[in-house]
Amino acid sequence: MRFPYGSAALSMLVLSVLSGVWLALNPVKKPEATLVMWTFAKTHYDAYKQALPAFEKKHPGVKVDLQLVSWQAVTSRLQAAFLSDLDVPDLVEVEISAAGSFFRGPLKDVGFRDLTDRIKESGLYDRMVQARFAPYTSRGRIFGLPHDVHPVMIAYRRDLFEQLGIDPNTIKTWDDFIRVGRKVTIPGKRYMLELPDSESSRFEPLLYQRGGGLFDPEGNCTMDNEIAVETMLFYVPLVAGPNRIASDLGGGQIFTKAVEDGYFLCMIAPDWRSKTIEVDVPKMKGKMALMPLPAVSPGGRRTSTWGGTMIGITRHCKNPDLAWELALHLYLNKEDLAQRFRDTNILPPLKEAWDHPAYNEPRPYWSNQPLGKMYAELAPHVPFQYTSPFVTTAKGKLSEALVACVQYYRSYGERGFEEFVRKRLKQSADEVRRLMRRNPY
Amino acid sequence: MRTFIRFVRSFTNLSMLAFAVLTLTPMVWLIAATLKSPDDLFSYTFFAPRLSTFHFRDLFTTVPFHRYVINSVFVATTMVMVQLFFSSLAGFALAKYEFKGKKPIMILMLSTMMLPGQVLMAPLYELIYRMGLVDSYAGLIIPGAVSVFGIFLFRQSILQVPDELLHAARIDGCSEFRIYWDIVMPISRPMIGAFCLISFMGSWNSFLWPQIILHNTDRFTLPIALNQLVGLYQQQYGTLMAGTFLSVLPVIVLFMLLQKEFIAGLTAGAVKG
Amino acid sequence: MATKQPELTVDMMGVRRTSRWFVLQYRAAPYLFVSPFLILFATFGVYPIGKSLMLSFYVTNGPKSAVFVGLENFRFMLSDPDFHTAVWNTAVFAFWSVFLQLPLSLGLALLLNSIWMKGRELLRLAFFSPNLLGQVFVGVLFSVLFIPQYGLVNRFLHFLAGIPLDTKWLANPDLVMPALVLTSLWMYVGFNMIYFLAALQAVDRDLYEAATVDGANAWYQFWAVTLPGIKPVAVFVLVMSTIGSFQLFELPWIMLNNSAGPDQAGLTVVMYLYQTGFVAGDLGYAATVGWSLALGVLMISLFQMRVTGAWKGGAD
Repeated sequence: MRFPYGSAALSMLVLSVLSGVWLALNPVKKPEATLVMWTFAKTHYDAYKQALPAFEKKHPGVKVDLQLVSWQAVTSRLQAAFLSDLDVPDLVEVEISAAGSFFRGPLKDVGFRDLTDRIKESGLYDRMVQARFAPYTSRGRIFGLPHDVHPVMIAYRRDLFEQLGIDPNTIKTWDDFIRVGRKVTIPGKRYMLELPDSESSRFEPLLYQRGGGLFDPEGNCTMDNEIAVETMLFYVPLVAGPNRIASDLGGGQIFTKAVEDGYFLCMIAPDWRSKTIEVDVPKMKGKMALMPLPAVSPGGRRTSTWGGTMIGITRHCKNPDLAWELALHLYLNKEDLAQRFRDTNILPPLKEAWDHPAYNEPRPYWSNQPLGKMYAELAPHVPFQYTSPFVTTAKGKLSEALVACVQYYRSYGERGFEEFVRKRLKQSADEVRRLMRRNPY
Repeated sequence: MRTFIRFVRSFTNLSMLAFAVLTLTPMVWLIAATLKSPDDLFSYTFFAPRLSTFHFRDLFTTVPFHRYVINSVFVATTMVMVQLFFSSLAGFALAKYEFKGKKPIMILMLSTMMLPGQVLMAPLYELIYRMGLVDSYAGLIIPGAVSVFGIFLFRQSILQVPDELLHAARIDGCSEFRIYWDIVMPISRPMIGAFCLISFMGSWNSFLWPQIILHNTDRFTLPIALNQLVGLYQQQYGTLMAGTFLSVLPVIVLFMLLQKEFIAGLTAGAVKG
Repeated sequence: MATKQPELTVDMMGVRRTSRWFVLQYRAAPYLFVSPFLILFATFGVYPIGKSLMLSFYVTNGPKSAVFVGLENFRFMLSDPDFHTAVWNTAVFAFWSVFLQLPLSLGLALLLNSIWMKGRELLRLAFFSPNLLGQVFVGVLFSVLFIPQYGLVNRFLHFLAGIPLDTKWLANPDLVMPALVLTSLWMYVGFNMIYFLAALQAVDRDLYEAATVDGANAWYQFWAVTLPGIKPVAVFVLVMSTIGSFQLFELPWIMLNNSAGPDQAGLTVVMYLYQTGFVAGDLGYAATVGWSLALGVLMISLFQMRVTGAWKGGAD
């Protein structure tokens, strides 16, 4: 018998029933785990997968469900989960720039548990690089354990440096760097440095290097102070105007091709990115090397910080002691940390962990440099970075100011530039302050 | 003069052809990209001499892509069935009956078509939350179970059904629902075809509402899953393209089958109404 | 449009069926048939409309907590530079949708309506096909096509017009909007063309012949016969594509990697609503933005219908 309503309706009906049956037979797994944990980085996910069996063995009957959530979605999904009290994980790793936005509202309503007492009592506050607690602190309370230090160095094409006759040891300050950069840059073909002109991800490390920041420890917006103005006056001519020595193209496979082609000679490289470069540009093995960040003035700070992650325990978590155990298991085990450093190049904030031989191993990719030692030497100098619930907005506004300054500089050059920078940064900062005033909580 | 006109015409025809090729180019590139190995992706503009299924294998091994496909199929087809039933039923009532309140209902429907859906998103989310339907397919399907556009489409086509047919059925003792089920709907087969595709496309491609409602990754439909894939595996453009290709394929196949009815249905509302 | 249908009386139904049940089900049928719509509309329409009006006077932190703030939301919105950016971007996008996309769609439709054109069916199919891909999938595809140095768009335009290969469409605030307009052009030209084509095919052929007999040239024919003939559809397409442009969200959101893009160059009103309401958790403010959007769309649609109505008076 023919189906009287046409083949379209018939196929919809059949598909609906078939897929419905499949879904009924393969239901979405009910969370049976004792602890649910989210992470947004594939590298962390792989590392923790290896570390979990030991934890589960130590605590019989405990099952940890580790989930990988995309970094774009983790903030909005966690926000949605907090708001609707649904599917809230017990532990979450949150990215440094998003962390602040979860500290909105009265302290008692923050979705994360206050870890200050646990951190102070266990002595962790002194055993870890203290600068790294700052981004996860709001009104004096610490809501997360830092995963990393992320000191910044410069990665460069050693082979091309040699061809061009550049000795990295002579580059001690940014002035040195710029002088060399102008000699070797060929616009549209080769740039001394990879720096974006449309967003502030690499402006911020340079701001921190100078001791500046988006917020002060009390959470006031400081992105229009003298240091910020200075940084902007320094940054913009690097990426715009006739003497620019920096450009950028994008991430992933575009980056790979650009580095292989020698489009960039140098990149800002915190420890995590040294791994990204290894993975994305495998062909450059043995041709790359690292050097400290040039100082602002002779003898000045030769590093900064870019990126970061914290682990937090949610208020929703029914077993905070166990969750804390898990966090410590993942973040403090020296052997695991050493292995993880080999896998991810990420230097842990736990200072006592750095004497492990793993950090002294020469790395063939980086022309046999002892990567861990180099980053660890810089780690104590990593600047503080303070946060606020409005950090996401502030970053956006800073990017806007950067773009506007770049455009001004392209059109008018040095004429009136300083005045414009001052005015534009103030405008951005005022917008952030305005938003802060609106918050009724 | 005649040769001039002929020249202009063939020139125009050729330009149209070129324009059509240009329009299709992104899709050809998409197919080519899925069939290249990661190394060849940016080395060859279109197809590489060496075909590779790497990206498809990568797609199914890194994420439960089959699950997303089935989720999407289930949500979209169920939505189509539900919308089809309710919309055609209301369309039938508005086409073939005179009853009190018909005018206000028509006006009400017209005005809801003018209201952008985003206005109601915030309270709707709150409502779904209170009903306990967050992170469920019911939360996706129920608020959209009736399509106002669908009601109008069916009203338009059912108006063409001769009244005599219905009366004859009544004399034979058919109940009103039997008339709808056994007479009106089979006659409306072309409109059903068109509506199936329109409604299918709507829910298949829908992003914002599912993004708000669905929390568990295992429930994700293709648009949100693919968006999440962008974040997790950004370095693998080819895998992303394979996911995109497989996501658009069902709609293209369905369109190939229902092309005529679809375009007729799409324009019916505008040209006749 | 109402069908002329006499009131059903018992004697009309012949002798076989005169039961009261039968009359009752006949009377009740239309109400039953529209009831699903009415019930759903009451639940997911009337209630949210009322609720969202109310919400727009509150600052909320998710669905659980709310603080009454009066007109503060409206005041804040009107003075928020981000909202201004969103409105401006949306308006610019809508402008290009109307003044670039629709004429192009009409042009294509006119050409495809000419009998001398060869392969019309296939051309129509080709132009329409991009519309089958949803905005999300198009967004993913074009975010890759637009990448600098190695992307297809840059390679093509470099070859054709000599633009620099490293043109950063999606990272340069000046180029984000052109990239969005180009993408939506690709997606929707064929879609609107289908409407125009259907309207053109419905225009009475005799009118053209009459005009030709009167010695009208092609241009005059277009103004005197074609345009008035397709006017209802043209207005429909105009209003629909304006409303559509004002609801733009997915395309820029996906193309710009789940963000508003450099310097907020891709921030639209709906994106603003989504970010404030569902990312930051202030549903009250989202409702305020939503109502402003609805009001704006309504005003523009009415304005368009008025203007096009006036234009009709002139042509007649």
